[in-house]
Amino acid sequence: MKSQKKVKMKTSKAQKKENRAGYLFIMPYLIFFIVFTGIPFLMAIGLSFLNVKYITRLDDLKFVGLNNFIKMFQSKEIVDSLFRTFEYALVYVPLIMIVGFALAMILNRGVFAKNALRSMAFMPYVSNIVAVAVIFKVLLGSNSPIIQGLKSMGFDPPLLLMDLKLALPTVATVAVWKGVGLNMVVYLGALQGVPTELMEAAQIDGATKWQRVRNVVIPLVSPTTFFLLISSIIGSLQNFTIIQALTEGGPGQATTVMSVNIVRTAFMKYDTSLASAMAMVMFIIVMIITLIQWRGQKKWVNY
Amino acid sequence: MEKKGKAGKWILTIVMLLVGLICIFPFIFMISSSFKVSGEVMQFPFHLIPEHFTFDNFIGLFQNGMYNFQKWYVNTVVMTGLCILIKIFFVSFTAYGFSKINFKGRDTIFLILLSAMMIPSDIMILPRYIIFKNLHILDTMWALILPSCVDVYFVFLLRQSFISVPESISEAARIDGCGHLRIYWQVIFPLSKPAIATMALFSFTWAWNDYMGPYLYISTMDKQMLSVGVKLFASGLIQDYGSQMAAATVVLLPVLVAFLFCQRFFIEGVASSGVKG
Repeated sequence: MKSQKKVKMKTSKAQKKENRAGYLFIMPYLIFFIVFTGIPFLMAIGLSFLNVKYITRLDDLKFVGLNNFIKMFQSKEIVDSLFRTFEYALVYVPLIMIVGFALAMILNRGVFAKNALRSMAFMPYVSNIVAVAVIFKVLLGSNSPIIQGLKSMGFDPPLLLMDLKLALPTVATVAVWKGVGLNMVVYLGALQGVPTELMEAAQIDGATKWQRVRNVVIPLVSPTTFFLLISSIIGSLQNFTIIQALTEGGPGQATTVMSVNIVRTAFMKYDTSLASAMAMVMFIIVMIITLIQWRGQKKWVNY
Repeated sequence: MEKKGKAGKWILTIVMLLVGLICIFPFIFMISSSFKVSGEVMQFPFHLIPEHFTFDNFIGLFQNGMYNFQKWYVNTVVMTGLCILIKIFFVSFTAYGFSKINFKGRDTIFLILLSAMMIPSDIMILPRYIIFKNLHILDTMWALILPSCVDVYFVFLLRQSFISVPESISEAARIDGCGHLRIYWQVIFPLSKPAIATMALFSFTWAWNDYMGPYLYISTMDKQMLSVGVKLFASGLIQDYGSQMAAATVVLLPVLVAFLFCQRFFIEGVASSGVKG
C-alpha cells in the first residue's frame, strides 16, 4: 500500500517534469503563433466593428457595430467582386478536381515513363507565379507565336487576358494549370491504396470499366476527394497573387475579385475597417462551406 | 487482351505526354526565348533553338540602370536561406514537443493549432501590418521570415513522421540517461531526415515564390524581393520580350533545378503526407 502510493507520487512527479519539458518545447512556437496568427485573427474581428481609417492611426476609435458590413453589401462594387470570386471558384474548383482525378487515373492505369510524366505535370506547382505570369502574358498577348499560329490556320483567337468576359475564366484556368499537379499526386497516392483484388472482383462480377470507376474507385478515394475539395475551395478564394500578376484586376474590373478588392481597400483606399469586414465575410463563407462539407461528408465519404 | 492492353497503354502515354507538354511548354518557351533577340521571340513558327544566340538579355538584366536586379536576387537568397534554416529547427523542435512528450493539454493545444489552418490568410494581412509596424520589422525581411515559421501544416507533418519513429527507440535513449533535448537532436531529428528534407524543399519554394508578403510589407526598393522585382521589371520593359524572359528565367531556374534534382522528396512527400482520411 505504502509503496504503491510512493509509485504514484513518483509518476506524478515525473509527469510534472514531462509537463514542464513539453511546454518548454512548444513555448517558442506558441508565442510566435499567438503574435502572428492569434492576435491578428482577433484584431481582424475587432477592426471589422470599428471605424479605423489609415492603418497607422488608431486614435479616435469608435465602435460602429455592423456598419462596415452594411456598407459593404450596399456597395455595388464590392458585391460585384464577391460574385466574381464565386465565378472564379466555379471554374477553378470543378476543373482542378476533375482534371486532377483524371490525370491520376491515367497515371495509375499504367503509362510508359510514368515518373517522368508525373514530374512534368507537377512542375508548374513549384514555379513562381509572377514569373509564370510574365510568360503567359507574352504567350496570350497579341502577336505571340501561338496567336499567329492560330491566325495562320484561319482562326480569329481572342486576346484572352484583355477580354472582359474571358479574362476571369482564363485566370482561373492558369491557376488550374499551376495547381493541378498537387491534386494529381495526392489522388495518385490514394488510387495506389485501392486494393487490386477489389477491382478484380468487380471485373469478375461483370462490372464495366465505367461501373468499376463509379462504384469502386470513387467511393474508395472519397476521403481524399473530401480533403482536396475543401483545400481547393479555400485555394480558390486566395487568388490575390495570380490575379495581381496576370491582370491586376483588369481589364476594367473584370478580374477584381474579393482578395484583390480587399488589398485595394486596405492599402490604396486606406479603409482599414471596411477591408477587415470584407475579409471577415470571406472567412465566414469559408467556415460555412467547410461546415456544410463536414456534415455532408457522412453521406458520401467512406472511411 | 494482351495486345489491347499494350495499345491502351500507348494511347494513355500519348495523352499524358500532351498534358505534360502543356505543363512545361511555357518553361521551354521562356528558356529558349531568353537567348533570343526580342524580335525573334514573337516569330512564328516558334524555334526552339535561337537563330541568333545571345546572352545580352541576361547581361542587361544585371547591368541596367533602372532596377537593381542583383540586389533583389541577393535579398531573396538571404531571405529564403534564413527562412529554411530557422524553420527546420523551429518546426521540428515544436513537432517533437507535440509527439514525443506526453504533457497535459497537448492534444487540446494541437487541435487549436490545426483549426487555425482554416483561417484564410487574407484576413491576417492588415492586422499583421500593424503588428509588424509595432515590432519594428515592417519593411525588413523579418516581416516575411518570422510569420512563415508559424507553419502549422509542417508541424503536423513532422509530428506524423516523429510519431512513426518507434517509441522503443526514444525509450532506450531515455534509459541511457538522455533528456528530451538530446533525444530530439541525436535520435529523432536524424531519423526523420526525409520528412525534414521535404519540409525544407517546400519552404524553399514558398519563400522564394512569395509575392504577397514582399508586395505588402516591403516598401524600400533596395529591400525588395525577386517576385515583386520581376513584375516591376516586366511592366517597365513592355516590348522587350527577350529581357522579360531572361528575368523570368533567373527567377524560376533555382526552383525548377531544385525540383528536378529532388523530385522524390517533393512528390513522395506530398503523396505520403497522410491524406488518409
